[in-house]
Amino acid sequence: MVQRLKEVDVIVIGVGMVGSIVAKELAAAGYKVVGLERGQTRFTVPEFQSPAIHDELRFDIRKAMMQDNTREPVTFRNLGSQVALPVRRWESFLPGTGLGGSMVHWNGQTYRFQANDFQLATRTRERYGKNFLDADLTIQDWGVTYDDLEPHYDRFEYLLGTSGKAGNIKGRIQPGGDPHESPRSRDYPTPPQKEHFSGAMFRKAASSLGYHPFPQPSSNLSQPYTNPEGMKLNACVFCGFCERYACEHYAKSVPQTVILPVLLANPNFELRTGCQVQRINLDSTKKHATGVSYIDAVGREFEQPASLVISSMFSINNVRMLLLSGIGAPYNPATGQGVVGRNYAYQTMSTVASFFDEDVHINPFMASGASGTLINDFAGDNFDHGGLGFIGGAFIGAVNTNGRPIQYHPVPPGTPNWGKGWKQAVIKHYNHTVMFSLHGSSAAQRQNYLDLDPTYRDAWGQPLLRMTFDFPQNDIKMAAHVTAKAVEIGRAMGAKQVVGSPRKGPYTVTQYQTTHNTGGTVMGDDPKTSVVNRYLQSWDVPNVFVIGASNYPQNASWNPTGTLGALTYWAIDALKNTYLKHPGRLVPA
Amino acid sequence: MAKVTRRSFVTTVGAASVVPAAALLTATPRAPAEAATAAKTPGDAASGKPVYLFFNADEVLFIEAACERLIPADELGPGALGAAVPNYLDKQLGGAWGAGERLYRSGPWQAGTPSQGYQLPFTPGELFHTCLRAISRDLAANKTPFHEMPADNQDAYLRSLESGAHDLDGVPSGTFFAMLLEMSVEGFFSDPVYGGNRDMVAWRMIGFPGAYADYFEAIDHHGVKFVREPMSLAEDGKGHIHTRQDIPANL
Amino acid sequence: MNTQRAIPRARCSSSVLLGSIMILAVPCAPAAQTAPQAKPAGTKPAAEAPSAPCEACHGAHGEGMAAAHVPRIAGQSAEYLKKQLDDYADGTRDNPVMTNFAKALSEKQRIKYALQYASMPTLLGPQLKTLNTVQLARGHQLAFQGDERIRVQACNSCHGPDGIGVLHAAPYLAGQSADYIASALKSFQQGTRKNDAGELMRSVAKQLNDADVVAISGYFAQVDISTK
Repeated sequence: MVQRLKEVDVIVIGVGMVGSIVAKELAAAGYKVVGLERGQTRFTVPEFQSPAIHDELRFDIRKAMMQDNTREPVTFRNLGSQVALPVRRWESFLPGTGLGGSMVHWNGQTYRFQANDFQLATRTRERYGKNFLDADLTIQDWGVTYDDLEPHYDRFEYLLGTSGKAGNIKGRIQPGGDPHESPRSRDYPTPPQKEHFSGAMFRKAASSLGYHPFPQPSSNLSQPYTNPEGMKLNACVFCGFCERYACEHYAKSVPQTVILPVLLANPNFELRTGCQVQRINLDSTKKHATGVSYIDAVGREFEQPASLVISSMFSINNVRMLLLSGIGAPYNPATGQGVVGRNYAYQTMSTVASFFDEDVHINPFMASGASGTLINDFAGDNFDHGGLGFIGGAFIGAVNTNGRPIQYHPVPPGTPNWGKGWKQAVIKHYNHTVMFSLHGSSAAQRQNYLDLDPTYRDAWGQPLLRMTFDFPQNDIKMAAHVTAKAVEIGRAMGAKQVVGSPRKGPYTVTQYQTTHNTGGTVMGDDPKTSVVNRYLQSWDVPNVFVIGASNYPQNASWNPTGTLGALTYWAIDALKNTYLKHPGRLVPA
Repeated sequence: MAKVTRRSFVTTVGAASVVPAAALLTATPRAPAEAATAAKTPGDAASGKPVYLFFNADEVLFIEAACERLIPADELGPGALGAAVPNYLDKQLGGAWGAGERLYRSGPWQAGTPSQGYQLPFTPGELFHTCLRAISRDLAANKTPFHEMPADNQDAYLRSLESGAHDLDGVPSGTFFAMLLEMSVEGFFSDPVYGGNRDMVAWRMIGFPGAYADYFEAIDHHGVKFVREPMSLAEDGKGHIHTRQDIPANL
Repeated sequence: MNTQRAIPRARCSSSVLLGSIMILAVPCAPAAQTAPQAKPAGTKPAAEAPSAPCEACHGAHGEGMAAAHVPRIAGQSAEYLKKQLDDYADGTRDNPVMTNFAKALSEKQRIKYALQYASMPTLLGPQLKTLNTVQLARGHQLAFQGDERIRVQACNSCHGPDGIGVLHAAPYLAGQSADYIASALKSFQQGTRKNDAGELMRSVAKQLNDADVVAISGYFAQVDISTK
């Protein structure tokens, strides 16, 4: 028995950071907005308080803040020729859930992509020639430029209060920042966080090799800050429980600390939790959404009509929602036709471990999620790829985010997996090792895609999302190249032993890498190769907008969150200034 | 006298400086007499043995001996037994985790590739009981139970499990071994609230300070050894650690 | 028998470690404890070791004087005590009495007295302040949980279980004088005390109203960790 509710102006599916910002802006503009969140409410007090939150077993190992995979996992295979099987435990990527979404428990690493990234296909051809890319790669331009997004990057960074040092303000290179960054209109809202010992060592070594180290931009703030919404944040104390944990000190920029109280105070907005959206409903033309259907925590089904639907869930869930709703043609890798699920990409992660003598005390447990020191000299297209046979790159950094011992106990190669030798090596190296993060780009290729699984279902009876993915050879070559460069930096730090671990295939879901899943609802100028237009509006159903990293045609060398924030404000401008005044296609099909 | 700021005296490690520390990183060296004053897990005074709820008596013999080979006591400190790792396994396997919390359990089932991870229908509890039964039968053929073998033979047997040489009633022995090792490391390094890492011995061995974690000032002291008694999220102001196994794996 | 456990983490034998640079070890029982009564300023005792100038107000056993807002410093973190002396001397913490005392001490003396008081055991029991049950409950709530409406996190997250202090991070509050805690919160609120790194205490204090200051300070004063 489906209960049909009174119509509202806007439905926001997923009340994470994107959903919170969109809902706040549209509610403030006078629209009636309903936010549907499948998880529960939670706030800094009491849910995020320590010492209870500083529980590695519960939050790191048991994944307490993550999507309930007993009810809704995904299925996975490397190749289309294999049978996809359920990801029965989350490891490789950890989709979030609950009010505030994944950004409640993110690391706070906040980047902008570079101008080159937004026109990657065009600029790669211009610089390296038409035949430079492997035939299987489906690299595309975004349909927006860095200049389009710059004011929105700025707005997002000032919402968060991100701590950093600009490297390029209006074309003038700033000492101490990243000289490779694309120009920004002003500096970060707060200065960089304090540098960790490992970052200081990295900085000296990288400088000695002629590279350009700079402090990692961090949304774990360096000092108290009041954002333009009037929300106050405190200084981060480097507790070392950042990613997978929520912050007890109001020091991490999460929806609860930067915007949610403002949203929740607006009577134009109604939050409904425990609501699992089943599909976006379409009229008989299939070109107009009438609202959504959802099932609440008690199992009752509702139909919520609305004029506008915003899909602002975690990226892969956006893709699944369009597939379940029949919005856009599903991608078929055999024919190359269709768009929904196409260009799924990830992140290509490598590491370097530098082992020191026991009189060098690293203290890895003192850390924020983003208090690293980095170089971008081998990221993106910041170096000449001529003759190298790949595109893309990685930021390289001493990114010490934690010393939590169940997962962090580095040992040199050759150490036994258990027994006395293992135990002694763990004790010997725990406080005397520096780990580098090599955070590499992820090219899209025709064989990597998302669709609906033919066999496995979620607890509501709907098909699971099926993920078909392996690392393109392009990215494996990139990983080998940047790892070799990073090993040199480790040696320049004076370590006794430096071990590079470049990413190798096949991709496995059994090892954590990142939760930077991108693509599947790609944005662009051409409806044949994109799902949404440059304003993130569905080509097929103009009153549906999709906002998420699912819009990225491929993934760049940096964490996706900063760019997602910029896209959110960019889309909000289009919604408020154009779409909502005259609903219809913003870009001719 | 000129104020010595924190940063101004942070020299490269090894440089000679006679300026007294502007901040004293006061060490509390753990002399044996002080061991009694550190935070203590309750219930161990009498026998030091946990009350097992999941493992039966035979299983306990194998688990205790096997865990102690995985993480042995040595001159650097206690091993799995001293850290109550078997107790951790017992409480996890006997609780919601062992019953299948956070595990997608629907079929159909097939083995899959290594990239696809665990694909068996067993919950962790079922897997352990199944495999321990099979191991017990396997070793009964040798006539020497695991816990009576000399340590080298125990290690050899564990290595054979690790390599996947045995089929444990349908479970590849490598899968069982991996879970046993993974849970032993968890039991060693998790907060003592879960019944392992007794009295935080493992944290003390590596210098991990635990659940109370404010390093805003300490992070400035590059390269300086940070010394502080580890602290459990479950200890009170009088040094008692209150263990619980019922903490849910969801927020 | 576990009375030693009642004190915060700084213990009798304290060492200073600075990588491989220098180690200072100070024995458990400082000599100055033999002269308990306060002496007029300027008077030198005849044959004994000089008593610490701190004693006159903080007491020979570091017990403090609640009525005069003089804090208990027995068993307080040596690092914290030394820092307060430094901060009084350079003005980041402002108190006319303490400023004069601190300026008069050399660097070596500040370290010496900090270690001396840090090594004193806290067997002193709670300092009771009359609070009603509502106030006590409020204090307990702020200590263990915080309050989302005023965006304040739990005091214990930095100050340790039951407020016993966390070495290198935050001083103990358990058993501290309520009036002293209240006056410290007020000076953070007003900005006359600015020596909290990262403005961590100023950020918190500014969110508390007068009733909350009374509740928190009274709550911690009555926390009894002196017995098992």
